[in-house]
Amino acid sequence: MKRRTLIASAAALTAAPLSAPHAQKPAVVRWWYHFDDPKASPAALVAEFEKANPGITIQAENIPWGGGADYDTRLYTSIIAGNAPDAAMVKFNNLTRLLEMDALAPLDKLLAGWSGKADISDDLWSLHRAPDGKAYYLPVQYVVLYLYCRQDWFAEKGLKLPVTFDDFQTAAIALTGGDRWGFGLRGGAGGHDHWCSFVLGGGAKMVKGGLVAPPAIAANRWFVGLHTERHVFPPSAPNDGFQQIIANMKAGRTAMTIHHIGSANDMVAALGDKITAVPVPRGPQGQGWTSFGDGSNALLAQGKNQEAAWKWISYLSTGPANVAFNKLSGQVTVTKSGAATWDVQPKRFVEATVNSLPIAATLPSTPQTADFTRTVWPQTTQKALVEQITADDMMAIFEKHYFG
Amino acid sequence: MRLGSPALPWLLLAPALAATVLLVLVPVGETFWLSLHDVILFRPRVRPFVGLGNYVAVLRDPLFWESLGHSVVWVVVAVSLQFGLGLCTALLLNRTFAWRAVARALVIVPWALPSVIIGLVWTWMLDFNLGLVNQLGVRWGLLEAPIAWLARPDTAMAAVILAVVWQGFPFFAVTLLAGLQAIPREHYEAAEIDGAGVVVSFWNVTLPGLAPVIATSLLLRMIWVSNSLDLILVMTGGGPGTSTHTLPLYAFLKAWSGANYGYGSALAVVLTVLLLAVVISYAVRAGREAKA
Repeated sequence: MKRRTLIASAAALTAAPLSAPHAQKPAVVRWWYHFDDPKASPAALVAEFEKANPGITIQAENIPWGGGADYDTRLYTSIIAGNAPDAAMVKFNNLTRLLEMDALAPLDKLLAGWSGKADISDDLWSLHRAPDGKAYYLPVQYVVLYLYCRQDWFAEKGLKLPVTFDDFQTAAIALTGGDRWGFGLRGGAGGHDHWCSFVLGGGAKMVKGGLVAPPAIAANRWFVGLHTERHVFPPSAPNDGFQQIIANMKAGRTAMTIHHIGSANDMVAALGDKITAVPVPRGPQGQGWTSFGDGSNALLAQGKNQEAAWKWISYLSTGPANVAFNKLSGQVTVTKSGAATWDVQPKRFVEATVNSLPIAATLPSTPQTADFTRTVWPQTTQKALVEQITADDMMAIFEKHYFG
Repeated sequence: MRLGSPALPWLLLAPALAATVLLVLVPVGETFWLSLHDVILFRPRVRPFVGLGNYVAVLRDPLFWESLGHSVVWVVVAVSLQFGLGLCTALLLNRTFAWRAVARALVIVPWALPSVIIGLVWTWMLDFNLGLVNQLGVRWGLLEAPIAWLARPDTAMAAVILAVVWQGFPFFAVTLLAGLQAIPREHYEAAEIDGAGVVVSFWNVTLPGLAPVIATSLLLRMIWVSNSLDLILVMTGGGPGTSTHTLPLYAFLKAWSGANYGYGSALAVVLTVLLLAVVISYAVRAGREAKA
């Protein structure tokens, strides 16, 4: 069967309600996924789907994440080897690479006939659109990074929760002292999200020349200076990763850090009402930037069971199934119906997430981004933080990496 | 086939040879072939032949030379300390004392643990805010203030070497202990009759008796430590900056994280060539021992 015909027939089938079992050619759908919590299993969702769709068997394969590098490289390798899964969870930062490999099946026709489309906000659809204007990703979860704050310490010092960079710096300096630090910076892998909030939020732009323009240079000097001159990050910040920033916050060693709602319940279990969250502060010109952490499903072009695979991934992005899915992933439902009754995390963290959406963005969808986040950013930033290079050298390296 | 047939040894060796060719020589050949091409994983249709281009780029790459320097420090310091600690442990375990059997069993524990677990354990022990090393160091007055061991360029390499020494010394301890037990008691008795003290006995009986074991274990451990990257990857990722970048880690990051398999393969081939000197020494030594 030609691919176009296959997609069209899949769209027609998907238009039928999933709850109505119908004759289905037996198909095994290989689906790759990753949850932060290794104990979380989609087995209940698979069982419910298989019951409603006799003939379809979901072979859910939990793929090691390894900061994203492991997962992505395994996916690329499987594609090159001709052994790709039918569907896989994917992130926006590898979209261009997957498109370059012709690895993805466009979803536009399938989406046109899918009743769940209207239950996902237009903001999310626009954030997920590919550079060629087509849709390849079906959103299944999202997070937006926000700023955790020890509100009890802010109250003790009579400080207001930060809205601007000035507020942030004032609070960070005031709350640093003894074995406490104003802000827990993630200087290791994955920490580019923190840097983006301060430097892209401070005026740097991801366009040619935009990383070495005066506002960008000023923002980055300020960011690096928070560590080298004002000493508001723990000395371990250049090597701290996710585990360290969360542990330091929970142990009362840092007053603020940046992460997302996925860690909210863990934080509340350790700190109760002492912790809250607000959108990341905005830069001198009032602009802001926070990382949109996307999570989608995609159909692989070489998949042998695209029709059944579409049924499965569209099921995961539909109402109650999507809520159940995000209880497992620890992230936020992409459906409007699910969001209306969302009670997985305390309300203040949901509000901080929603209030951050206006400044939520992603790094450019170019082949350079994956290498930037995995290698170039941590190596270069660590060198600047330990003063082996200057803040300006750091930006010159980033400019060269992205724009030559 | 008759027992005396010249083909019989080859026939018996065939399964092992086939496995070696398939599992060792073919991947090595493939790696070399990749290193002659510009191979970017996510551009499978474009794979131009660049000849020695990747090798020229490697020689001009400052990070390659920095990583090579770090590799030399990593191997020489780590293996020396592992050997020293392992020898002391072996000498202790060779003496008679209560619970010696338990001590001999416990000493192997670090060697038996997976590297990733060891990396995580040491990462948290050395943690600036919550780590045991800083807590005890400050409490006992050994440190004025906590130190960010893994985040400072001047301490990060020492910290990861500490972890690999802890992981690797049991190998030397157990191997050298076996060597010690093979030295005939009579040699020590003869030395004692000749008036040799503990130190003279050690230099003239113990060390010569252990020499073959020391040489073989040092060569093997040098090869393993040269190739290992897991501890560094878990503890520092090569940082801060590139302070703990070693050659295998650089090759891994280029190929696995950077998806640049051509350049990563060239780095791996260079590392292999550098290690060949050690491997050949080991092979010659093993051959000589087999003849003896």
